[in-house]
Amino acid sequence: MVLRMPGLSRRAFGAFGAVAGSGLLLPRTLRAQEEPVRGGTLRFLVDPEPTGLVPLSDTTGANVMLSCKITEGLYGYNLDFSLRPQLAVSHTVTPDGKELTFKLREGVKWHDGQPFTSADVAFSLMTLKASHPRGRATYANLEEVQTPDEHTVVLKMKAPAPYLLNALAGQESPIVPKHIYDGSDVTTNPHNHAPIGTGPFKFKEWQRGSHMIFERNEDYWDAGKPYLDRIIVRFIPDAAARSIAFETGEVDVGGDYPIPYSDLERLSQIPTLGIETRGYGYGPNISAIEFNLDNPYFAKPEVRQAVAHAVNKEILLQNVYYGFGEVATGPIHQAHTQFYTPDVHQYAFDPERANQLLDQAGLPRNDEGIRFAVSHDPLPIGNQHIQSGEYIRQALAQVGIQVTLRNQDMATYIKRVYADRDFDFVNNTMTNSPDPTLGVQRFYWSKNFKPGVPFSNGSHYENAEVDRLLEAAQVEQDPARRVQLFHDFQKIVAVDIPTLNTIAIQTFTIHSVNLKNHTLTADGIHANLAEAYLVS
Amino acid sequence: MGTDGRALRRFLRNPSAWLGLLVMAGVLLMAATAGLFYPGDPQGMVAKPYLWPGQDPAFPLGTDNFGRDVTAGVFHGARVSLWIGVVSAAICLTIGTLVGAIGGYFGGWTDDLLTRLTEAVQTMPSFLFLIVLVAIFQPTLATITLGIGLVSWPTVARLVRAEFRRLRGQDFVLAARSLGFPHWRIIFQEILPNALPPLIVTTSVIVASAILTESALAFLGLGDPNVLSWGMMIGNGRAVIRTAWYLSAVPGALIVLTVLAVNLLGEALNDAANPRLGN
Repeated sequence: MVLRMPGLSRRAFGAFGAVAGSGLLLPRTLRAQEEPVRGGTLRFLVDPEPTGLVPLSDTTGANVMLSCKITEGLYGYNLDFSLRPQLAVSHTVTPDGKELTFKLREGVKWHDGQPFTSADVAFSLMTLKASHPRGRATYANLEEVQTPDEHTVVLKMKAPAPYLLNALAGQESPIVPKHIYDGSDVTTNPHNHAPIGTGPFKFKEWQRGSHMIFERNEDYWDAGKPYLDRIIVRFIPDAAARSIAFETGEVDVGGDYPIPYSDLERLSQIPTLGIETRGYGYGPNISAIEFNLDNPYFAKPEVRQAVAHAVNKEILLQNVYYGFGEVATGPIHQAHTQFYTPDVHQYAFDPERANQLLDQAGLPRNDEGIRFAVSHDPLPIGNQHIQSGEYIRQALAQVGIQVTLRNQDMATYIKRVYADRDFDFVNNTMTNSPDPTLGVQRFYWSKNFKPGVPFSNGSHYENAEVDRLLEAAQVEQDPARRVQLFHDFQKIVAVDIPTLNTIAIQTFTIHSVNLKNHTLTADGIHANLAEAYLVS
Repeated sequence: MGTDGRALRRFLRNPSAWLGLLVMAGVLLMAATAGLFYPGDPQGMVAKPYLWPGQDPAFPLGTDNFGRDVTAGVFHGARVSLWIGVVSAAICLTIGTLVGAIGGYFGGWTDDLLTRLTEAVQTMPSFLFLIVLVAIFQPTLATITLGIGLVSWPTVARLVRAEFRRLRGQDFVLAARSLGFPHWRIIFQEILPNALPPLIVTTSVIVASAILTESALAFLGLGDPNVLSWGMMIGNGRAVIRTAWYLSAVPGALIVLTVLAVNLLGEALNDAANPRLGN
């Protein structure tokens, strides 16, 4: 049974696999032949208003979205995840994986005129290790950063960290000026709100509640770029107003699904607007039903399997996410092409099988047809989790599981799930980024069952073999063997389902058709936009 | 009783009273027959999603994004709206009447204290206060109803207090006092019945605003997710308002009609109780 919104053609926006493979390839090659145009002002929409512009410790989505225009990283990542030199031009890794040497770009200047050197990189990496939410894991094995000369850094590791090379984009590991940050508290340094970077655009002003202006960096190291003169950042808090801003041409570009899914059909009909689904491979989101394995019902594998058989993921995809994504098969998002495998056990939608499993588990229906009652807490972000919860409630009622929904604010939710552990099961969305060791391991590794830490192993899953595979992948040097470890991990988790992954969400960018070259990398419009240009 | 009979006749001669009664009867009928016509869970997925009203005769008002029957939803939603309106108005009346009657009757420091309390509650923006209450105590039908009652009683308290201040010096109260009636009897059996007419009119306003308040909460996603209310249906339909506007319009129209009916009844009661105002 495929339920679909009338008139909503999936082909129009596409399951991203199909689009990435065919439709958008042609315009891209055409685009490459065009001559970039210098000049123009780009109007960039973000929501909500950022809390800062340098994601050293505060990785709020809007901050990350804007940061790279001003503050760069060592590497960028092409759409196929191959490296794209930025502040680093090359690197070597010793065979034991414990020493990484980066050659840095020469002749780069900070926006205040100071030269960029290896000392800045050493300072930034050690700061990320100390203060960045994911940096603590990324750089956990980093012992010391040596600076043999001004344009070389050597990372000395306690143990190999093959995932580290995936975490060097400016949005994940921003390189900041030591002379500005040294000796200050990085979380409160005023330059977080008026950054000095090496990027193609310089920070000019931030009128709180209204806009930001970034001006072209005339001395950018990549001579001739950027093509744009200026970026004006707009904040529009109301979703309907954002849709209208795109319709009327008041803004040129916005990402991370800037408008409700339900408005896309209408906006896709407007010839001056384009919808881009590429450029979200660096941090793809996956929606999931997470069980509390300490709950006496969900501790039973048959009960979790029954839920997996009773929930039709296709309905969630079509009716909550309007077809924007794919049905998830396991813990790793399809967009992480190098690690993902579809070759795992799947629990097909089959309510009869669910009923059998629940009977086998010794949970018969009572006189009212109810086997047992549990509570469900949707993640209180956006409407999609509450809607998913409503569907889950209905779907499980069909197999005799009575679900009571609980709505609450974010702080209560975090406390309930991660601190008090006063929950039965939840539905939420998790970021996979930018490597499974950093984005996926945290939810399945028994050593990351840490009550009180948000977005840790909330299900309290413990599997010795999974622990072994994840820990081996943390240090495995050989890329092929590392991929195999993650494949084996996906196979086990897809059978055990401590977390039932439901939707591999496809995020999208909306842009004016006049804006070219906005999505050249795996992080799309999160990247520095040095090559983006506007035609009239 | 002669005056009451005249008031009733005036009430029944008022066309807006009839209109209000008619609509209210319709809504009450919907609430009463919801279980009869739609015995299942109104949130059950029964058909294809996004059926327009009239597209399938089995679902006269169409279906929503999960294929839930909108007709079943509005029938069951009527129960929730009426329940919230009546019960929270009852809570509000109980607290407001007690506070206002005691303050107004005794006066002095008791009155000062209760007036300050009333003002303290009244200075808080009631909707924000309600959001905080609901956020702390989990949004369930019981907490929402109680919350609405708790934030809206000051209006009643002030009204009752004013009436008591006015009435307590009148002859019939002095007579009751000199006969040695206890305070509670004077308050509840002598003064309160005479303070009722303005209170009844205010009650209709409170019922209407309680229904609206619950809708606003549910629209913001702070309703009880386990019961389908009209406000929640609008909140769900909001995302597709440009493509499937009927999902917001149908429950929206019902809220408008119900609130209008309650207000018409209140106005008619007011006109009946205070005939001089009408001239």
